[in-house]
Amino acid sequence: MQWWCSAQGLAWSWTWRPYLGVWVMVGILVAAYVRATRRSGGVPPGRVASFAAGMGCLWLALDWPVGALAAGYLASVHMVQFLLVALVAPPLLLHSIPAPVWEGLAGRGRLVRALEPATRPLVATVVFNAIVWLTHWPRFVDALMGSQAGSFLIDMLWILAGVVFWWPVVAPVPARPRFGYPLKVAYLIFATVANTSVFIYLTFTHLPVYATYELAPPIPWISAREDQQVAGLLMKMGGGVVLWTAIGVQFVRWYQAEQE
Amino acid sequence: MHRSPARWIGALALAAMAAGAACSKGAPARAAAVGRGAAPEALRGTELDPSWPKPDFTLTDTEGRPFDFRTRTDGFVTLLFFGYTHCPDVCPVHMANIAAVLADLDYADRARIRVVFVTTDPERDTPERLRAWLDRFDPSFVGLRGSEEAVNAVQAELHLPAPVRQPARPGPLPGAYAVGHAAQVIVFTADGRARVVYPFGTRQSDWAHDLPRLVAR
Repeated sequence: MQWWCSAQGLAWSWTWRPYLGVWVMVGILVAAYVRATRRSGGVPPGRVASFAAGMGCLWLALDWPVGALAAGYLASVHMVQFLLVALVAPPLLLHSIPAPVWEGLAGRGRLVRALEPATRPLVATVVFNAIVWLTHWPRFVDALMGSQAGSFLIDMLWILAGVVFWWPVVAPVPARPRFGYPLKVAYLIFATVANTSVFIYLTFTHLPVYATYELAPPIPWISAREDQQVAGLLMKMGGGVVLWTAIGVQFVRWYQAEQE
Repeated sequence: MHRSPARWIGALALAAMAAGAACSKGAPARAAAVGRGAAPEALRGTELDPSWPKPDFTLTDTEGRPFDFRTRTDGFVTLLFFGYTHCPDVCPVHMANIAAVLADLDYADRARIRVVFVTTDPERDTPERLRAWLDRFDPSFVGLRGSEEAVNAVQAELHLPAPVRQPARPGPLPGAYAVGHAAQVIVFTADGRARVVYPFGTRQSDWAHDLPRLVAR
């Protein structure tokens, strides 16, 4: 039994397979959230819903079938997985943390102190884009996707990249009064442009760039080239939907702040 | 001083468009140059030294007609592969990659290449099924069938192991089986000699690199 999805070279089957590592990770995150929020004394329903949605995205992206298809069969599903893990789940999870928990983390959280340098907006942009480019570099992907540890590393890098990237926009600590709404909007718009190079590379490179997907047991309805083009388009369009939604949210909050 | 959101939107949209335009100028060209006039540099396949002669055999094509391999492929660069249509991995990947690259070649080069697929599973690969399966990749691919003895004899002549029937993984189809078979494509140049083999793992970029050079030889 596999503990994490990886490329196996076996023909695709719709037979369910368990991935114990994914369940353990989800269980640890849920337990940590419950423990932290119990101490803070109650969580608004909206935050709980945000946490459930974020965890749902992570679970959907990493477990069977999305995780298995992404690891060893389709670059396009791999891109869906990236969008869910790095762009959708982290802001939902960060948003789900209630204010008293943030205040506690700010005061004594080792994790927050460790992450603080990386969550400065400029550093976060560099870290996020460096991880995005690295984890879409064909040699890196082909070297890692064949092993469970390698596939796990890529998924963890995406989670890290997502948390670092969204932290300056979503998390209230460390407080950055100078990083107001205009700069948050600019930060997010820059992110819509920064992924353009990966999008262009995947969409307009004529031959398949990932051996993992080119040589995978074929999925009947799509060729390796089409799959790669869909992956590139998903990165641009799917990422665009997420980022422009976030930009819209920032504008609404900015407007509301101006009204007050 | 506070600026309104609307003014920020305008400024940022202009900046984003400028950056996008700059990025699009750097769009990479096609990854591999395919076409005539390729330099005679080293091939990416495994070159056979010494080369092998083209085997002399006649099997039956998907129309039920005899296909004399040596005569019908004379003067062509010929890609010969032994596999079966129920193959879950090696066969469809090889065929799909070759077909994708052939579709990119210019007509003159493409017209000088033949792809011949010999089934190692004649029991299930009826002419109709074999034709339909090959048509998914390229209707010009030749599909051949023959008795187990005849096909094994051809493979032995080409130093390939005989196919082995193996029980398939448990599944919904009773009696299903897999066929273990050689995974390499053997390429004969126009002079009738087998000069290069391409194992499983050969990529479209490798075919795009080598096929024009094999035609040019």
